[in-house]
Amino acid sequence: MFKRLWQIFGPVLVAGLCLIALLLSPLQLGRPSEKTLSTAATSLSANVLKGEAIKDVAFNANYIPMIGSSELSRMDALHPSVMANKYNWQNKPFLLGAPGTQSLTHFLSLQATGNHLNGKKAVVVISPQWFVPQGVKPEMFDFFYSPLQTTYFLIHAKDSESTRYAAKRILELTSDTTNGIMRDALKNKALGIPLTKTQKVYINNVKRPTLQHQDQLFSQLFIRGREQELRKGLKVLPRRPDNMRLDQVATELGQKATSDNPFGIQNSFYEKRVKPNVDKLKGEQSHFNYESSPEFADFQLMLDYFAEHKVAVQFIIPPVNARWAAYTGLSQAMLNRFDKKIQYQLKTQGFNNIVDMTNDGGEQFFMQDTIHLGWRGWLKVDQRLQPFMKTKKAKAVHYHTTNDFLSRDWQNVSGDNIDEFD
Amino acid sequence: MPNLQPYANPNYFLILGVALMPLVIGLLNGKRWHIYETLVSLLFLILIFDGDKVHQGIALIGYVLFEGALIWGYTVYRQKHNHTWLFDLAVILAIMPLVIVKFVPFLNPGSNSILGFLGISYLTFKSVGMIMETRDGSIKKFEPWLFLQFMLFFPTISSGPIDRYRRFKKDYLKVPDRDHYLDLLGKAVHNFMLGFVYKFMLGYLFGTVLLPKVAHLAMASRGGFLDISWGLVGYMYVYSMYLFFDFAGYSLFAVATSYVMGVETPINFNKPFASPNIKEFWNRWHMTLSFWFRDYIYMRLVFFLMKHKITKNKVLIANLGYLTLFLLMGFWHGLTWYYIVYGLFHAIWIILTDVWLRFKKKHKAHIISNRWTNYLAIFATFNTVCLSFLIFSGFLDRLWFH
Repeated sequence: MFKRLWQIFGPVLVAGLCLIALLLSPLQLGRPSEKTLSTAATSLSANVLKGEAIKDVAFNANYIPMIGSSELSRMDALHPSVMANKYNWQNKPFLLGAPGTQSLTHFLSLQATGNHLNGKKAVVVISPQWFVPQGVKPEMFDFFYSPLQTTYFLIHAKDSESTRYAAKRILELTSDTTNGIMRDALKNKALGIPLTKTQKVYINNVKRPTLQHQDQLFSQLFIRGREQELRKGLKVLPRRPDNMRLDQVATELGQKATSDNPFGIQNSFYEKRVKPNVDKLKGEQSHFNYESSPEFADFQLMLDYFAEHKVAVQFIIPPVNARWAAYTGLSQAMLNRFDKKIQYQLKTQGFNNIVDMTNDGGEQFFMQDTIHLGWRGWLKVDQRLQPFMKTKKAKAVHYHTTNDFLSRDWQNVSGDNIDEFD
Repeated sequence: MPNLQPYANPNYFLILGVALMPLVIGLLNGKRWHIYETLVSLLFLILIFDGDKVHQGIALIGYVLFEGALIWGYTVYRQKHNHTWLFDLAVILAIMPLVIVKFVPFLNPGSNSILGFLGISYLTFKSVGMIMETRDGSIKKFEPWLFLQFMLFFPTISSGPIDRYRRFKKDYLKVPDRDHYLDLLGKAVHNFMLGFVYKFMLGYLFGTVLLPKVAHLAMASRGGFLDISWGLVGYMYVYSMYLFFDFAGYSLFAVATSYVMGVETPINFNKPFASPNIKEFWNRWHMTLSFWFRDYIYMRLVFFLMKHKITKNKVLIANLGYLTLFLLMGFWHGLTWYYIVYGLFHAIWIILTDVWLRFKKKHKAHIISNRWTNYLAIFATFNTVCLSFLIFSGFLDRLWFH
């Protein structure tokens, strides 16, 4: 009988034990190659963002994280990734973000890189569109939610107001009900209570190694770089990075691509996304408001991370296409008040390196479509990034963050009333 | 307690494996521990119906009590009398909860009846089957304990396969001899592994990875004749593959779990896409459902029509049977135009197939029939089945009317 039982269950048992051994082992499985890094750097893949292995290696090599959302995928010839390749920048941007990623997703991903960014640099593109009254949409956060990064958070985050706030937000925005222990641990963090022994052992010795090995094994598969767009861009750029010439190229490309509509929107985008509803959109955005949002507090979590790890950050605030805004009724005054508020949050805490383009929305061929940077807009970014990214090591930084920016008061205060905020 | 839907994630299989271990040891040693078995069933029922599903759990308890009382009552009555009208009444009462559950969202879109729970259709098949066999005299007395075990047999509770009371009872009351049980365990492991490939690899590939893409493509290229596009053709095949691998995978798990418990639940799929015609297809696709309809609807209707001499035309009788069977099956799936069209489609198709088979028989000498015509038949049947699944999917409703 035992022989037959062994014949039936033996293979399953052996396979199961091998799998468990593999997942729980302390081995590092599969180090990403140079090629993988360069593919991942422009892939904007959710798996790369949700993982750790590839990013950690990339930030130790010559990649600088460029954090943002949908604009990163607008890869024309003047996009920083193309420029960095063409003119052999010492350090290349590692794009992190996709439509739907906002501050909280980026915070979770940043904190999980732990000390790999200590004393290094980062670029953050702040979309005003993140700062809508309801903040990040739960389904969007859920889509980019990484249990792996959460295990890092649960093990490493020290109790503080921002840790408690972060845990609360993650609990609010995720729907994962299958893992009770992780959820309970998050609840403890949210209340400032240390994790229990069971939680610690389970998360540290079972959950995290399992997820880590899955990340090491699988997140390198199925990523697609944007070689085609890169190649196309490399071809049209001049041999030497002469600003006059570059501006000329940007203008020509923009002119050709935005010929069929009065807004300066790329033709393909206009045909597909705008034209079908163009009448409905007139005056449709007059009530849009980016001044009061939980996003301001989520954003503060990123700033806290940068301060703790002494990261030098280049912030970029892109504008909205002015002709489009005029048509949809989106208020430039409101955008200016948003700008004032976010600049206050940055500068009062010592984050002074900001490219503010809020009022550049009227420039020709600056935007690729309605809210996304294009040709001449990217060029302006490039001109600031190129010197910033020359070195990977940050000079000494002096940040003095405060928990006030996590408060409900700060989330709600309008750009005109920040003077009353203390 | 966490809420775990049947066969949905690795945790479920882990808990299942641990919980069944003592049963395996018992059965290998010639013992069936009914009490332990019942506790395991109870645990899994609670896992399915706890948390935010607790309303369904209550509905399930109410349902089983109602059907139990009904069948009990009918059995007691049947021991003395046998009136047709009372039999009819018992059947109507037995399907009433299901009818209500199907009608509420139809009359009141967006809402669901409080009587509903996961698996109500499958339990209804079981109870109606019991009433019919009681009328036939095959089931002579009501055994409350066995009735509960049969109805609430947890491996098959949510989506079948649909077992029969007398078959289940036989397995439940005996201990399989060791060699036979070892065979069952071997088959169970095989079914579990194949099920993993079906449901979690192929089903995932077709359902989660590809289906949204082709759906998007089809929606984006609307506008032509009947909105037909390559995207729609893609949707038809991708959905058909998804439907098969997801459901066949689930059925393999249910059968495998039953085998481990020493109960030989009938299989549900037998290479359906290799069928050379639609009649054969229904002998291989969702078999326990089509056999249930064959035995309890089709055969009984044919018998009724012949006995009362309503018509002597055998072809007509068969066709009426098909029409009734498939229309009922359509209604059972839900009260929407596409389920009913799906039923009609299959009824007409099977009637036409009969016409062809009779023609072929008569002109045997002149019709070529070899390996290649058989492949051609399989190919044609497969594609027509996929077309019917496109109707069944409800995607056309979205494509045309929303």
